[in-house]
Amino acid sequence: MAYNPKTGKGLGNFYDANHRAFKRREWKGLKDTMYDYARWLKLYGFMAAKLGGHPILMIKALMRYRWMASYLTAANMVDRHTMGLRGKELRYTHEQFFSLMHYSVIKIRDIIVRDENLRPNSKKAAKLRANTIMFDEMTPSIIMAGFPTVDWIDIAMFTIGEPGEVDQIANMYYIDAVEHFGMAADVCPLPAAECGCAVVDDYPKVGCAYITSSMPCDGSIGQTTFMARYLKDIDIYQITPPQRFNEPEVQEYAVKNLEKCIKFIEDKFNVKWDWDAFWEGAKMYNETTQYMLNKWDVNCTPYPQVCGAALALQREYEFQEVACLDPYFLKTDKKVDKMMKKGYEQDKQNDENKPKYRAIVWACPAHYYTNFTYWSQHCWGVKCLVDMECMLSYHFFHIGDKKQAMIDMAKSYERMMMRSHTNGGYVNSLDECWKMCEKFDANIVVMYDHVSCKNVGGLHGLFEDQARERGIHLIWVPHDLMDPRTVSRKAMRDAFNKYMINVFREEPLDPTLVDYEDALTW
Amino acid sequence: MKDLKHLYYFENLLNDANNELVKQAQAEGGLAIGYTCFHMPEVLLNLGKCFSVRLRAPNMGSMEIATYYMSSGSCEYSRALLERAMEGNYKFLDAMAGIDVCEAMNRCMENMELLNIQGEDKKKFFWSNLDIPCSDDEDCVKHVVEQVSRKVLKPLHENYGVDISDSEIRKAVAEHNEVCRLITEIGNFRKLDNPTITGYEFHILTLATYVCPKYLIVDKLRETLEELKTREPDKKKNFRAKVVVVGSEIDDPELISLIEDSGALVVADRFCYGSFPGRQEIELNDDEDALTQVCRRYLRDTECPRQCAPHKVQYRYDRAEQLVKDFHADGIIYEQMKFCTYWSFERTLASHVLPEEYGIPALSIDRPYRSGMSGQLRTRIQAFVESLEIKKIKAKRAAKSQEVK
Repeated sequence: MAYNPKTGKGLGNFYDANHRAFKRREWKGLKDTMYDYARWLKLYGFMAAKLGGHPILMIKALMRYRWMASYLTAANMVDRHTMGLRGKELRYTHEQFFSLMHYSVIKIRDIIVRDENLRPNSKKAAKLRANTIMFDEMTPSIIMAGFPTVDWIDIAMFTIGEPGEVDQIANMYYIDAVEHFGMAADVCPLPAAECGCAVVDDYPKVGCAYITSSMPCDGSIGQTTFMARYLKDIDIYQITPPQRFNEPEVQEYAVKNLEKCIKFIEDKFNVKWDWDAFWEGAKMYNETTQYMLNKWDVNCTPYPQVCGAALALQREYEFQEVACLDPYFLKTDKKVDKMMKKGYEQDKQNDENKPKYRAIVWACPAHYYTNFTYWSQHCWGVKCLVDMECMLSYHFFHIGDKKQAMIDMAKSYERMMMRSHTNGGYVNSLDECWKMCEKFDANIVVMYDHVSCKNVGGLHGLFEDQARERGIHLIWVPHDLMDPRTVSRKAMRDAFNKYMINVFREEPLDPTLVDYEDALTW
Repeated sequence: MKDLKHLYYFENLLNDANNELVKQAQAEGGLAIGYTCFHMPEVLLNLGKCFSVRLRAPNMGSMEIATYYMSSGSCEYSRALLERAMEGNYKFLDAMAGIDVCEAMNRCMENMELLNIQGEDKKKFFWSNLDIPCSDDEDCVKHVVEQVSRKVLKPLHENYGVDISDSEIRKAVAEHNEVCRLITEIGNFRKLDNPTITGYEFHILTLATYVCPKYLIVDKLRETLEELKTREPDKKKNFRAKVVVVGSEIDDPELISLIEDSGALVVADRFCYGSFPGRQEIELNDDEDALTQVCRRYLRDTECPRQCAPHKVQYRYDRAEQLVKDFHADGIIYEQMKFCTYWSFERTLASHVLPEEYGIPALSIDRPYRSGMSGQLRTRIQAFVESLEIKKIKAKRAAKSQEVK
């Protein structure tokens, strides 16, 4: 517990309304502070080692792309998520976040060395581009496991998705750009920002083909029309998966759609789908999925271990940005799994570290406030055991069965982030929420109320009605996904505070976290 | 111009979803099948004793209860339908043929289903939720055929004993085509230099074909067509410019009226509930089963921006240009229902593409479900009409100066 009742100092004191950075680093006791500092050094050391070899390209990239500057604040992002944590929880979180940063740094390097905007005359860069395929977000990039000789980069995640989570102001410029272009302000700011990035020509040109999809929502479908126009000089394949994916009958179409995508890549790069390589990738996918399920299982018990954003963001990136194909992610999963099991045994034996309140997170969380669940934990003792965003694609691949593997792949991507719950009918969102409350023994749902999300918004009243019937506390936390100007972090906290104060009649664990200003911070 | 003989009759039919012709058809043993979207093949809801009713919420006022259920960010059309459903206005329906095509409409249907808006005593009532792909190749067609067969035709047959055979589908298509032919012929009068039908009148007639049993209005449509052949237009043109309206759902004739009162005659209607593409004939051959051909037609001809494959986007731009040419329009109004995500993206892009690449002036607007009284909208359309007039004057001057040279 970071709050000191004698001095009245707590985590809220680290924020400064007039500055972006924290006032100082948190003292967590000698051992934890040294560990924390060592991790900070490790992150910057890794960034320097991987990107320091390309100083001119990095400077060019920082001058050329607005989103690139946000990555410089990556350590602050880790600090935001580890503030107030001690002991094993601090270590789980650092491990989880480093795997994410590790992959991102390597991919940023891959982007700058092959980007046509930065290296228009480089033959080496052109050669790399000729062997690279660009992906949109929410695409079944695990397909690339079958093409081990072709490189791939998710350009949407690296330019919009991830910077928005690292730095809350990263996407504003792009949202403004597309609204200035004529877009209605009520559409989801994620596809809007992606379109804005196209409008101001801020995407890196790192490949010679592009895979996009109609996932996960109407906004994403709209975004593909902008991207197709923006990238009109290169070949594009669009995956159009079925909506009602709970029905077994739709899989035939889904598989055909995927097979066409494979054919597109084969033709474009003059390569053949490699089943052996694919099985290796599928095995990794299965392993990471099992580690994910292990975390859930532990969190269902009275002694949850890997919670909040450490659980959710890691899986989100592992699946979407990495396609479960990064050995470092897998290595981290193994390590954290071992640590987690040990931590669980310890807590169980000593009967300690039980959460004061057990909650699950539902609906789409704010990209600009991914550490909200840590705030709720430190301020009110509400621990988030699982997050809808990480409850994706826990369908295993049948290794060795080629026909079934294609169905597995279809099922896997049909149930990716957001889509697994917001598509396919209300049962996936509404009924599933109550099932998860029961499974995780939680009577609080932190219900993210993304004000531009028509999909979850369309079930607003039914959620209210059914939560009342079940005696579940549904705490609506409004936000606007990528745009903190619509609903600030403080406004999100205020909504939660009101519920805790007025309904639970609760006293905060750390009163300094109840009301503070962080609109300027990253 | 002299009023059309049956216009008042058709206007009255639009005042209530459960209008007198719907009641009459049900009294005669007909089955009312509700639907909302072009992607649900309308013609398949008109098999045997079934007749389709495309849902509207005429004269909608407050939508507070629906807003509680669907939040204020959902499109007003879907909220209006839910509100009207909760008021009990759709209890006359015997089935609801829904689609999972846009988030708002899908959630609207799900809310209706969970809130039991059909009433307690409807044991044969069924809900469907078709999965429609975002493209149109043959795999997509096959997928739609499976969806329609399982989710619509099968329950129609099993619950109500409706004949869903190939011959019955062909019969329904023939009846559908007759209405389409009439509407197309009536619509062609809008191509005249001084059209003998206004956009408002045409919209009333078209709307009636969506919400009434077709066999009960076809005579009056025929009569109207004959009447139009001899109808004299006003000597002085009542409009300052001709426009094509392209966009999302419009089932409110007052909006067309507002556009025309602002000086822009609506000569082509490419929007949900408009005649393009909803009132184009379906051509069938004898080589393939009718169901597949019908499904292919709806998938191929949809102009919903949900179809996001690049060739479909291009198709929509080209179609808009074609309508401008065919109907001798001066410009396009791209409109979207407020909170309609698909059309937000399409409208934004098209309002740049059409003027810049096709040379067609475009006005881009978003609007609420009921917008007939919007002063802001009126001002914007008036300004657009003025800009079109200025363009015409400039073009004339330029042509004259060329002649002099």
